Amino acid sequence: MPEIILTTWQILLVKVAVILVVVPMGALVGGYAEHKVMAHLQHRLGPMYPGGFHGWATTLADGIKFLFKEDIIPAAADRKVFSLAPAAIMVPIIMVYLVIPMDRTLVVEDLDVGIFYLLAISSLSTIGILMAGWSSANKYALIGALRSAAQLIAYELPIVLSAAAVAMLAGTLSLNGIVEAQNFPFVLWPPGIGLALFLVFTTGAVAEMTRVPFDMPVAESEIITGPFTEYTGMRYIFSHMFAEMGHMVAFGGIATTLFLGGYRPIIPWEPLELIPGVVWFAAKTMLMIFLFLWIRPTFPRVREDQLQKFAWKFLIPVSLALILFTGAWVLYV
Amino acid sequence: MALLADEALRRVDTAVGNRLMEQRVNFGQVDITVSPENLVEVVTALRDLQFLSCRFFTFLTGIDRSELTDEPGGLEVLIHLYSVEHVFHVNVRVAVDPENPVCPSIVSIFRGAEWQERECHEMFGVEFEGNSNLSNLFLPEDFEGHPLLRSFKLPSRFVKAWPGAKDPEEASAGGR
Amino acid sequence: MATTEDRVVDASEVAAEVSRGRLLTEEMVLNVGPQHPATHGVFRLLATLDGEVLVKADPVIGYMHRGYEKLVEARDYRQITNLVSRMDWLSGINNELPLALALETLMEIEVPPRAQYMRVAMCEMNRILNHLMFFASFGSELGAITPTFYAFREREDIQMAMEMTTGGRMHFGFFRPGGLKEDAPKGFYQQALKGVRQVIDRLPDYENLLIGNEIFKQRTVNVGILPKDVAYSYGVSGPIARGSDISFDVRKDEPYSGYDLFDFDVHSAPNGDCFDRFWVLLHEVVESAKIVEQAIEGMPDGPIMGKVPRVVQAPKGEVYVRTENPLGELGMYLVSDGDRRPYRLKIRTPSYSNVSALPYVLKNTYVSDMIAILGSFFFVLGDIDR
Repeated sequence: MPEIILTTWQILLVKVAVILVVVPMGALVGGYAEHKVMAHLQHRLGPMYPGGFHGWATTLADGIKFLFKEDIIPAAADRKVFSLAPAAIMVPIIMVYLVIPMDRTLVVEDLDVGIFYLLAISSLSTIGILMAGWSSANKYALIGALRSAAQLIAYELPIVLSAAAVAMLAGTLSLNGIVEAQNFPFVLWPPGIGLALFLVFTTGAVAEMTRVPFDMPVAESEIITGPFTEYTGMRYIFSHMFAEMGHMVAFGGIATTLFLGGYRPIIPWEPLELIPGVVWFAAKTMLMIFLFLWIRPTFPRVREDQLQKFAWKFLIPVSLALILFTGAWVLYV
Repeated sequence: MALLADEALRRVDTAVGNRLMEQRVNFGQVDITVSPENLVEVVTALRDLQFLSCRFFTFLTGIDRSELTDEPGGLEVLIHLYSVEHVFHVNVRVAVDPENPVCPSIVSIFRGAEWQERECHEMFGVEFEGNSNLSNLFLPEDFEGHPLLRSFKLPSRFVKAWPGAKDPEEASAGGR
Repeated sequence: MATTEDRVVDASEVAAEVSRGRLLTEEMVLNVGPQHPATHGVFRLLATLDGEVLVKADPVIGYMHRGYEKLVEARDYRQITNLVSRMDWLSGINNELPLALALETLMEIEVPPRAQYMRVAMCEMNRILNHLMFFASFGSELGAITPTFYAFREREDIQMAMEMTTGGRMHFGFFRPGGLKEDAPKGFYQQALKGVRQVIDRLPDYENLLIGNEIFKQRTVNVGILPKDVAYSYGVSGPIARGSDISFDVRKDEPYSGYDLFDFDVHSAPNGDCFDRFWVLLHEVVESAKIVEQAIEGMPDGPIMGKVPRVVQAPKGEVYVRTENPLGELGMYLVSDGDRRPYRLKIRTPSYSNVSALPYVLKNTYVSDMIAILGSFFFVLGDIDR
């Protein structure tokens, strides 16, 4: 087998190409999973026909259908901003995948400031949502955009704080380093604190993705689709559906890396190491995605001011307290 | 507990008997007629007096009696009240002049009258003094005429007479 | 989002701050509807918003006005039965009952006991259908999408029972002055009892899904309070009124069609907020299920139609008959001139009076609260606009 030697730039290109394929695939599978999981929780079957076997090609068919839809931009809308907004939402989400390690060497770039980069980039999509809502020339979109701006800013903090606690536990900001530091996943050890951190992070993540119960910005029965009301066709898919699914898979991956042990097995037991890391990573991410999907049909929506109260008066003080405890743990244990 | 209609009539008579033009019991309900000048007083008394306490506002509507075969009359505003404590009904009729239909408004006594008077105004043309918001409720703004008056004929009945003259057996399926 | 140096706790405080000039904001008029997922039908609300606070709400109705009161003046009573069942389309057969009762009062017809029991059974089954529908829609407006599917599953069995008797699932045309059109088919009793018993079994779970949910309670407790005297003044009736500490029910106060022979409770709740109205709605379902069981198990044999002349012609006179529609008090004031058609039929619909109370309840609430309140007011457009 002749050795294929590639330069650093070529390797990088291959990795980026893989990501650009994996992310849409993840979004498609996530969308299908959402249809089916929600359906079975609601005592019905979900899509059964597209693609033949239990409708596996549903999201693919949806994507193709949306390609054929007419591209309407409202006359009073700000055309440039309106067209740029979907990109401003999608690109940061794709860039998050660049640092998530799926195995020891299966990562696009193992940055030394992994977590920092991740949290900074993922918060950029807030601007995209604001752009979408403001430029739509629609009062409902405006309400949705303002709600979402407030919500996303508020819920950034619990995520950042709990990620900072994890960085303290691992001693490094690099994501590979964090996974290597987890002989037992952080959700189990330190006992109690790890679980609390995990819960805070997950709550913040559900709010960041504007999913139920925190989906006020996109409240379907009130403001139709919030900032994305005026979007049609492919723009809608990119800004709303794709972004939400991509976000879900990304946050699933981040939660896995930070709390569930990433590509390492649950316990450092020899036989479990035989299963490749990718499989561990995929299984744990799918567990997280299932958790996000499970929450959606179960709860009603939290009202905007109650949402803000919950973030500022409960989650943030709790995460600050958890940082204190984590610091104590790291120093004295 | 439910009051017998005669007892209810007696109470109403005690309270406002001198202001009524007519009073009787009709199918178990008190039925009184007042003139427009006394309307607000009578309704207030019906609502506020303890032994009457007709606090529930059921409806307000109009009846155009001009085509009744027996005793044709004019335009009438009908207010129906109900007493929750004593469980009896009162129908208050106000005879209104068809040429110049004016009636005092009872919005200040019952809030629900606001919408019901708007409907009565657009359907019968009755002007309610005291109701500041008499815009159209159901009909579009540029609608001409007052539909529920008997003089307003349904256009479809001009084209074809009412087919109901047939016996039930003769009526075939279809046909308007 | 309105924030000042102080912590803003509720909507009226925000409005007060703005009026003191602490925040420079502009009011926005938002058109909720006529096409909107949360309003049940073509209902428009002109909402004046200040940020997220509704300063004034002005309902605009009439998008579905079909002119019933004029149409019935040109139709005979057989035709009107079918026309009237299209008012409150979720309650089905309850709409036809006041008309039948009014004619029976004027014509002095006695309804045989079997017809009365059947009428009660069918009306109560339709009440369950109606309330389950609003259970589904209230949940989905608040974001809980799952109760919809559970509620519709329960509705199926009961609708099958109605369909096997009347042939329709939504509009029935089954009641006649004097009794019913036909007798119940074979299998009706089993189907009806099966449907109703399933509801009784499963309802506690559904209750827990929403009423036991912390988020739901936060969204609905103390939201949209309707005081008792305001409710009387507007003429609000039905589960909405019973949620405001008013304990009246036409079936108990002035029983009709044999309701005094059945054993059931009337529930009312003290606070008058969205939670209470919803609580009353759910508990009424269980009561209706009990009534249906009693009606079917105690159904007497006999004719289903009283002594009615071949041509239905009401003698001269006027009468007001009211029944307890699932949404409130449905009444018909019938003025008859001795003809085959009514001279004037005033239909007093519950949703019309209930919705007229909306401007009062919606003052100084949040936009999301507006949705919750609209959902908790249980109205059907056909009922408002006739």
